[in-house]
Amino acid sequence: MGTITFNAVSKTYGGAGGVRALDNVDFQIGEGEFVALLGPSGCGKSTLLNLLAGFEPLSEGVLTFDGRTISKPGPDRGVVFQEAALLPWLSVWENVVFGPKVQGTPRAVYEAKAREILTIVGLEKFHEALPVQLSGGMRQRVGIARVLVMEPRALLMDEPFGALDAQTRLSMQQLLLEVWQRLKTTVLFVTHDIDEAILLADRVCVMTARPGRITRDIPITLPRPRSLDDLTTADFTRFKAMIMAEMRAGAH
Amino acid sequence: MTVTTAEPRPTAAAAPTGETARLISSRLRSYAAAILLPLTLIILWQLAGKDGSLAGGALPTPDRVWAAWKIWAFGTPTGLSLSPYVGTWAESVLFSAQRVAKGFALAILVGVPLGILIGWSKLAQAMVDPTIQWLRPVPITAWLPISIAIFGIADFGAVFLITIGAFYPIVINTTQGARDVEKNWIRAAQMMGAGKLDILRRIVLPAALPSIFTGLRIGLGIGWTAVIVSEMVAVKSGLGYVLWDAYYVGRMDIVIADMVSIGLVGFLSDWLIVRLEMWVLKWRRLQSFNS
Repeated sequence: MGTITFNAVSKTYGGAGGVRALDNVDFQIGEGEFVALLGPSGCGKSTLLNLLAGFEPLSEGVLTFDGRTISKPGPDRGVVFQEAALLPWLSVWENVVFGPKVQGTPRAVYEAKAREILTIVGLEKFHEALPVQLSGGMRQRVGIARVLVMEPRALLMDEPFGALDAQTRLSMQQLLLEVWQRLKTTVLFVTHDIDEAILLADRVCVMTARPGRITRDIPITLPRPRSLDDLTTADFTRFKAMIMAEMRAGAH
Repeated sequence: MTVTTAEPRPTAAAAPTGETARLISSRLRSYAAAILLPLTLIILWQLAGKDGSLAGGALPTPDRVWAAWKIWAFGTPTGLSLSPYVGTWAESVLFSAQRVAKGFALAILVGVPLGILIGWSKLAQAMVDPTIQWLRPVPITAWLPISIAIFGIADFGAVFLITIGAFYPIVINTTQGARDVEKNWIRAAQMMGAGKLDILRRIVLPAALPSIFTGLRIGLGIGWTAVIVSEMVAVKSGLGYVLWDAYYVGRMDIVIADMVSIGLVGFLSDWLIVRLEMWVLKWRRLQSFNS
């Protein structure tokens, strides 16, 4: 029984005769599973995530989360945006406790947790900083921290490290592996980076564009816990070769 | 018993470093550049005048204006003096300033919430925006008869005109700001469990603040126009009243001193808003500094 279920889901932009971004997608994510959605830009992978987040309505089909039909965004599905989308007028601390605050959680409950999570993501010295004063990688750490503090049932990550330089991306991947190892939350991770998908996920779902479909669902059987060292193993390369062949076939 | 210091104070620390000295000198240079043009104009005006005036008495020279202003500002009225222009300057400035403050505050109180609502809700836009756009071309001077008819020759007539004048730029800029809020900020807030009111208060309002401040600065400028116009016609005190009254009794020196005073307090009130903006929008200042 999956916690997230796409049942013949389609999404068309611009009414009848518009652009069909998703076409008849059937797709499940199980409890505690880390699934990477891999595909070229414009293939509808972000659309799929936006439907799940409740940001956009679907055109056809059924989409459920924990057995309930998704109708709007909510703190049970924490979204990490590509450019972090922090609130620029709030300090790091205020950004992180925004969720608990608007949900009416008492300060005594969220304060210790927010402090702990900011320490885990390595920002214990930056509580008072404004987002503009941080580097791209640090900003994304805040983006992850503000979601973790709400203890969501699922994490939806939309190319969260896509805008970062190669080195920062690696350290963020390492951080995410460590955090996930502790929390084992359900994750949907959208990316166009094959290495990133294999390194992080239990399953890599390959998408093709026009119309947006999931064409292959590949279990990544690399043992856990993983680290950046896995990037250079023979098994890793085998998965990479398989997925690259798959993507070439889809790109014809 | 006296305490003597064994060592002389280090003077090097007190002296400005090369960096601060450069900063101070560049500041001074920009002040000097700012004052150059008005100073030249004043000197030319002074030199062009014959017998203390230009244009056949219509334009007194700066030294006459200065002398008149000193009496207007600091003179003590003697028992026999009938001139209203002795020691009444501060009072006139205060009359006008408090009207502007009241009208401006009222315009903010109405304009900002309404602008947020119009920018945020399509329904509110459809219902309110056309009316605003249709009333907006009516200049504040055209509101004068109605203002006098309703409020009479009284303080609130002026406040009413200032409110109307300042309202349009405030509501229009606020609307613009509320409409242009980054989509992902709203999505992020919804994702974190924010309700409609939370989003208006915690996302749309702060995100619209840069636009709101633009509206406030334009609105305040119009507020000063409105106060002068209404005091010339509809109230019997303040800088606008003095301006017209002095003209009637042929005191052009007071007219010019009055104009300079309006420019000065207008400039000062705008400066206050700019300081407030810099403080409130620290995040934005850093942002433009970084990019």
